Amino acid sequence: MGSIKRISKELTELTESPPEGIMVELADESNVYEWRVKMDGPEGSPFHNGKFLVKLSLPTEYPFKPPTVSFATKIYHPNVTNDEKGSMCLGMLRADEWKPSSKIAAVLQFARQLLAEPMPDDAVEGRIAEQYKNDRTRYEEVAREWTRKYAC
Amino acid sequence: MNLQDFLAMEEGRDRDELIDLRSLDLVSEYDSHLMCPICHCPFVEPVRLQCDHVFCGSCLSSAITTFRSADSEEFPCPSCRNPTQEVSASVPRLLINMCDEIRVRCPLITEGCQEIIPRGHVQSHVEKYCGYRLLPCPDGSCDQMTRSKDVGMDQKCIHRVRRCPHCEEDVLEHEYEEHERELCPVLEVTCVDCETVVTKGALREHIESCPEVAIPCTASKYACPVKIRRADIAEHEQSCPIVAMGPYFETQNTRLKSLESSMRHLQQRNEIFEDGLANIRATLVESTRLGANSNSGGQPTQSGREQQSSARADVDTDDPADIAASVFSSNATTYLLSLHESLREEVSQLSHAITDLDVRASMAIMNECLRIKEDIAHTNAAVNSVRMQVQWLMNPRLHQGARGGAVRTNTTDNESSAAGPSHAAGQTLGPLRPRRPSDGGREGTKL
Repeated sequence: MGSIKRISKELTELTESPPEGIMVELADESNVYEWRVKMDGPEGSPFHNGKFLVKLSLPTEYPFKPPTVSFATKIYHPNVTNDEKGSMCLGMLRADEWKPSSKIAAVLQFARQLLAEPMPDDAVEGRIAEQYKNDRTRYEEVAREWTRKYAC
Repeated sequence: MNLQDFLAMEEGRDRDELIDLRSLDLVSEYDSHLMCPICHCPFVEPVRLQCDHVFCGSCLSSAITTFRSADSEEFPCPSCRNPTQEVSASVPRLLINMCDEIRVRCPLITEGCQEIIPRGHVQSHVEKYCGYRLLPCPDGSCDQMTRSKDVGMDQKCIHRVRRCPHCEEDVLEHEYEEHERELCPVLEVTCVDCETVVTKGALREHIESCPEVAIPCTASKYACPVKIRRADIAEHEQSCPIVAMGPYFETQNTRLKSLESSMRHLQQRNEIFEDGLANIRATLVESTRLGANSNSGGQPTQSGREQQSSARADVDTDDPADIAASVFSSNATTYLLSLHESLREEVSQLSHAITDLDVRASMAIMNECLRIKEDIAHTNAAVNSVRMQVQWLMNPRLHQGARGGAVRTNTTDNESSAAGPSHAAGQTLGPLRPRRPSDGGREGTKL
């Protein structure tokens, strides 16, 4: 009930004044709980020039439960699972970290920031995190390669 | 109150209010601090936590039910996650007022209400004043809704349809009368003037053009009394002198109107000027008063007092209106300047008088001093002579006392020596005479 009102309010705000590099729409006009976000790879990162499709799904208990963020576009990143789910590990989205006062805009901006600065200590893909820490050039090469292959 | 009480209170709150304040269409911008972090709307019945974070009561209660782990006594604040046990319903009045001030559209805009009202008044507006609120039809058998402004005094159902017996059209009850009187396209009526038969709907149109209807001459507003059939009016207007005068009257009328409007304009300006004049007059009178008063302020000398009383008399005898009149006969500034000059003169006169008095007073004091000095000298001399006499009188006795009564023969000798200056006698008799501390001083004066 209350959640729909708040979600539609945030959706209007996001569509009227979208944050840099983020475009938001509903995956299905009749369902406000599933969002489709188009995210531009941030400048200065190996994902620059890539366009990533991010799925944001909101629980019905929103804003008391956190939304989940997953990458529909394949991405080479220590904090995104390298499977068909592409779920993203975001500190603020963990159930015990989530605060109802956080906004979706903040979540999306945080996710985009994570593309520029991965957090290898918080990684879901240990191998990529290892590579990010020890062999940065190789990591950036592969990430750029994947971006060109999947996100252009 | 603790969490249990708060939840119970929120539970028991009357939720069947007409309006959901959160879904209102806000017209005015509001400060982002007035936004509940949970529902992202301006606070509705806000409550406060121990950590000073404020939320809507209902938002907080659903947050508590979601976050609290199985009836524990505390739960994390939705903003800062500080554990909280107490919920306080006392929120600063200011906050509530600011939320109530936010202007919103009447939620019955869908029904046509265009009002924009403060949010705090929405409830009462919809309940009492909004004419677009839908009420069940006063007739119990009718299941339609009626706008509250359409429910008249007579409490009749307006939805009942009546079939017009003439045109077979279905007309709503409250519109039927009008329909029968004017709108029905079938009912016919005869024109009273030309006896043509027309339908009711077309009657008005017909009267506009019927050649038999008596209409007034176009110059009727300039007092042409003629009122004849439309067919003949053209002929009359050809010969009517007043019609011929018409254009002239017209121009005169417009001139009069423009003159009137300009006069009204001038009157307004005049009023403004008069107001200003009255203001200036009042300030001037006030300042004259003040000047007179300060003149008499701190002069306690006699001449000052005289001046003051005379000045006051001047002011008192002059009626303020007289002053004002004299003021306005000349320029106000000149008047003020002259006033200033005269005041300056008065002040200098006063200072002269003061110095004069000063000199006189010091002279008098000096005179008095001299007189008193003289007096003191006289008194001193008198005292001395008295002393001398006393000593002279005392000497024989002292001599007697010292020698015992034996030397009676010496009395004459003693008397002769006492007649001389007593100084020698005093010295010779020194040890016998009781001496007082001040004696030395006396002797000094004597010498």
